[in-house]
Amino acid sequence: MPKHYRPPGKKKEGNAAKYITRTKAVRYLQISLQAFRKLCILKGIFPREPKKKVEGNNKTYYLMKDIQFLAHEPLRQKFWDMRAHDRKIRKAEARRNRDLADRLVNRRPSYKLDRLILERYPTFIDALRDLDDCLTMVHLFAALPAAEREHIQVGRIHNCMRLSKEWQAYIARTHSLRKTFVSVKGIYYQAEVEGQKITWLTPHPLQQVLPDDVDFRVMLTFLEFYEALLGFVNFKLYHSINVKYPPILDPRLEALAAELYGLFRYISASSGRMSADSHAIVSSGDKKQVEDDKMDTGNDESEFAELQHQVPANEPGALMHLVEDATAADEEDEDTKECKNLFKNLKFFLGREAPKDSLLFIIPAFGGVVSWEGEGSPYEEADEDITHQIVDRATQGHIFLSREYVQPQWVYDCVNARIILPTEGYLVGRVPPPHLSPFVDNETEGYVPEYAETIKRLQAAARNQVLPMPGVDNQDLDNPQNLLAEGIIDRAQANEAAEKQRKLAILEKQYHDELKMEVEGTSYSSLSSKNLEKPSEDVEEDTTADTDNIEEHALNLAKVSMSRKKRGILEAIQIHKERKKAKVDILKERKRKANSRKSG
Amino acid sequence: MKKEIPAEPLSDESKRSDSTDPSEDEELSSYYGEDGEENGESGGESDSSEDEVSSLDDAEDRGTNGDVIKSVEESDSSEDEVAPRNTIGEVPLEWYRDEEHVGYDVSGKKIKKQARKDKIESFLAGADNVKNWRKVYDEYNDEEVELTKEEIKVISRLLRGKTPHAGVDPYAPYVDWFVWEDKAHPLSSAPEPKRRFIRSKWEDKKVVRLVRAIRKGWIKFDKPKEESQFHLLWTDDSNAADNKRHGVNYIAAPKPKLPGHEESYNPSIEYVPTEEEKNAYQLMYEEDRPKFIPRRFESLRSVPAYDMAVKEVFDRCLDLYLCPRSRKKRLNIDPESLKPKLPSRKDLRPYPTTCYLEYRGHTGPVKSLSVEISGQWLASGSTDGTVRVWEVETGRCLKVWDVGESVQHVAWNPSQERPILAVALGHDVLLLNTGLGDAEVQMRIKELLHVEESKSSEDTGDHGSAVRWFRHDKYDGIVLKHFKSVSTVEWHSKGDYFATVVPTGESRSVLVHHLSEKQTKNPFRKLQGIPVSVAFHQKKKIFFVATKKFVRVYDLESQRMIKKLETGCREVSSISLHSTGDHVIVGSREGKMCWFDLDYSSKPYKTLKIHQKDITSVSFHRTYPLFASCSDDCTAYVFHGMVYSDLNQDPLIVPLEILHGHTRSDGRGVLCCKFHPRQPWLFTAGADSVIKLYCD
Repeated sequence: MPKHYRPPGKKKEGNAAKYITRTKAVRYLQISLQAFRKLCILKGIFPREPKKKVEGNNKTYYLMKDIQFLAHEPLRQKFWDMRAHDRKIRKAEARRNRDLADRLVNRRPSYKLDRLILERYPTFIDALRDLDDCLTMVHLFAALPAAEREHIQVGRIHNCMRLSKEWQAYIARTHSLRKTFVSVKGIYYQAEVEGQKITWLTPHPLQQVLPDDVDFRVMLTFLEFYEALLGFVNFKLYHSINVKYPPILDPRLEALAAELYGLFRYISASSGRMSADSHAIVSSGDKKQVEDDKMDTGNDESEFAELQHQVPANEPGALMHLVEDATAADEEDEDTKECKNLFKNLKFFLGREAPKDSLLFIIPAFGGVVSWEGEGSPYEEADEDITHQIVDRATQGHIFLSREYVQPQWVYDCVNARIILPTEGYLVGRVPPPHLSPFVDNETEGYVPEYAETIKRLQAAARNQVLPMPGVDNQDLDNPQNLLAEGIIDRAQANEAAEKQRKLAILEKQYHDELKMEVEGTSYSSLSSKNLEKPSEDVEEDTTADTDNIEEHALNLAKVSMSRKKRGILEAIQIHKERKKAKVDILKERKRKANSRKSG
Repeated sequence: MKKEIPAEPLSDESKRSDSTDPSEDEELSSYYGEDGEENGESGGESDSSEDEVSSLDDAEDRGTNGDVIKSVEESDSSEDEVAPRNTIGEVPLEWYRDEEHVGYDVSGKKIKKQARKDKIESFLAGADNVKNWRKVYDEYNDEEVELTKEEIKVISRLLRGKTPHAGVDPYAPYVDWFVWEDKAHPLSSAPEPKRRFIRSKWEDKKVVRLVRAIRKGWIKFDKPKEESQFHLLWTDDSNAADNKRHGVNYIAAPKPKLPGHEESYNPSIEYVPTEEEKNAYQLMYEEDRPKFIPRRFESLRSVPAYDMAVKEVFDRCLDLYLCPRSRKKRLNIDPESLKPKLPSRKDLRPYPTTCYLEYRGHTGPVKSLSVEISGQWLASGSTDGTVRVWEVETGRCLKVWDVGESVQHVAWNPSQERPILAVALGHDVLLLNTGLGDAEVQMRIKELLHVEESKSSEDTGDHGSAVRWFRHDKYDGIVLKHFKSVSTVEWHSKGDYFATVVPTGESRSVLVHHLSEKQTKNPFRKLQGIPVSVAFHQKKKIFFVATKKFVRVYDLESQRMIKKLETGCREVSSISLHSTGDHVIVGSREGKMCWFDLDYSSKPYKTLKIHQKDITSVSFHRTYPLFASCSDDCTAYVFHGMVYSDLNQDPLIVPLEILHGHTRSDGRGVLCCKFHPRQPWLFTAGADSVIKLYCD
């Protein structure tokens, strides 16, 4: 008799009752494996890892509760109905009964996912929290070609495009984009909506290849859910800024593949108070009236000035989305304000080779005005107010002296650093400085790339506060202007300059001290002795090295009296640390070699 | 084979063929060919004017028209058709292959086979007879048949795919026998019935069904309206608790990893691997190879499409619905918190920390040490065959005995009145008079160490004597000659008894000797395992025997085993007793040291894995709460080992110091360690022939 014999009449217990294998689950639900897969994807059911795998190690286990939950799902019945319906159509077609077949095709049973979404995401925050994969997938499909072979229909591609643009329009409109990163895989964006950080990846706008080893049926099932989810999320978000959803776009702009711009116009036109403002502008075209209007609503001078500055664009649509929403501004947090004002007074123009989709999204999200080469653009290249032209091509036609020609990376780096970086390094034709990921915490990683330090100092300079240079005391670097210039110089040079400055500062300080002392009446000798105290630090360092040794010794001794388990954990921690250190060491080594190659 | 040919066209043709010229016919036939094509195109309509020519045949048939008619007429009569000569019927001819005959004729006579013609004959026949080509061999009747001209013609026509007889007219005009003129009415004059104008019963039923379906809405003709499927789903979050399905069982999918610097399109130069490193990746195993190799692009426009974009999203999808999820507790421990809370080492002073003295003089590895009970003298035995006595405080070598054999063990008599040194070497144990102490002591010792010649122990019985007591002439002591080599000698604390271990001695491997009586006893009738070391309890009459895996504790009085301590080690090398006698430490060859609390359990209270190599010796201090271990990895560890008189409190073990200093020689490190009896000092003897004294 086996050890786990269960007498008849006694219920299963433990893991045997709690978990069910996939095959058994499919049998239990009386559906095909495909339908089961679809159901699992839509309902968000996933396999589990039971502590004791009763049926064998090579099986997939589901929670019995989950499967029971699936058994009560109305979708299961719907799938049956659909299957029966498909059979009817096939039958009608086989009998050449075209009437019936057509009628049946039109009446295919369909289902809605709203109930499922609400079930999976009871609160809106839950939905936002799970939006990363959804956005990545929708953005990917927006860039895929329609392929009949893989059942990727044009309609779905268009739907994905529309949803992604709507999402981007909302993010740009509310200025909730926080970080961007151009990687080899595509462009990463991170936005913060209702306190949730949402990261997504958009592929580079190039022709995508459909690999053979991908089962598109699985992906399309996921996409089906994600499309619905993003639609509902967009609805809720648009509702929150008082815009009707789904938006109705200007067909002209849509035809020109400038949906995003069209959406901006739509959003600004339809949010309540703003439309009134813009009406005033459009109808009168008179700055005076605008001024009156503005005064009435009690906006401050600076906003008004900005508005005036924008008016010569002569394009109502461009204006509309620039109009500040003063009441909303009060509610916004610091971060949003900072993002909103990053490109506040800048006017951009995109060259033909710049990534238009991405920049059209980013620049407005950070408060800039942007136009592009081509039809439907708000303003022409010849516009005198353009401050920056984004180009990614070495040769230019006509060069305007009033604007700066920068590479697209400048925009991304500015956004990540949250300051306007000096453009010298990013000028056209040069190799731009390295593009760093904003998602990495350099300190915990243990290695700070050189350019990250430069950016840090530039940020500090922009905030009018001084950060210590590594190996330099606090009293130096008082001039942010100098620093700003320095930022783009090579690191070695920067260090050198800093050293010089420090020496000067020390001398200066010494001079001041002497003066002070003269006033106070102390002798020079005491001062020198005071200065001499400084090197004592070095001595102390030696002793600390010694204590390090002792500590290590003590650690070894402590290890002796640890239990085996704890010792194992400790060793694992140490191995982890060493691995991390080895990685950093490789980086440092490469850096050193690169430097020596450069100098040598 | 019967050919039925309509009579009329034939006769018609026969008439006409008589009156026509060959030249005319040729023209007509060509015309006919064209006409045939035309006929095909016009779909079988034929004019009455062309009827005459349509029945004409080819030019070559024309000349023999008369013959054709004759043959046709002949064939028409079936009765004159010649029956085959052979009457065997349709049986396989191979049945007659070996017979002389081919069958039977009508009268039942055998038909004899004809003689076979050989090739030359047949060739000559062919050459002679012009008509030979017409001859056909009939296998069935076994005769040669000469085909007539008509027959050959029929064959040739068949071969060309034509009708066998030239007289057949395939395109004869249709003759309608019914007379159509003067018929005023159709064939039937019945009126058209009503049912032609009304629905049938079945049609009615079908209509009723359709009407019902339409009325009930089963059939709808207008396309369903496209309405926006989106609405405000999350109205307010107050009712969130009601439809909360995520119970404790729900595990959210982990978010994908965010990209680091190396994934940038333009990473800083240190993130891009060099060519050599990339080549090195190729040599790695597939699993170890990095999935993503950073690349650097000069400008954004030169970045190509990422070929794995779809694949990666697909993999993520698979992970989401196929990968089992389970909650994992990620340990986030400060390594400091893992260390046990131990009292500061400063509070546990004094303990030996630094090397204070070195005793040099031995020329070989020093195997054993022993300190005299007063702490003034140190004895050492070495493999170079000498035993030395040192003055502890000065390092002066007081005495050297050259015993001529590698010394295994030395032990100083723990009694102050008996400055006797026991030395184990080879098969012998020497009891040496060290010559210390005053005259009275010396006299008593001389008396004690006096032994008559060849006094052997009696109780060894029939095995022959295990031990014999002899006088040692050279050094004025006693030598105990054992039957096998001795490894250890241990004194009882009173100084009158001592025990020796003969590891290979089987049932006589542990022997207890009585010095004043000069007697030897074998306390164990049978001993399991090979004994490694022995120890006497300080106060009680308890005896410890350490075998390779266990430590057995015997009561000497009642002569039985009290306890068996399971060390869990593979090979015990040494044992030491705490001065209270309730605690034992055992060192093993795999570098483990076990602390046993005898009152507690037969399992170790604590096992310390400290040394990388074999522990050679462990030792307790007599008075201070210290113990030490030394090993072949050239280190000695000093521990604080506090034993409380309160039974509820566990002994406190704190590692204090690692003593380095000895150098390795011949794979051995420190061979012995002993504490000073009064001071917190530690003596260590190394394989590098140096003895070191560590003081606090």
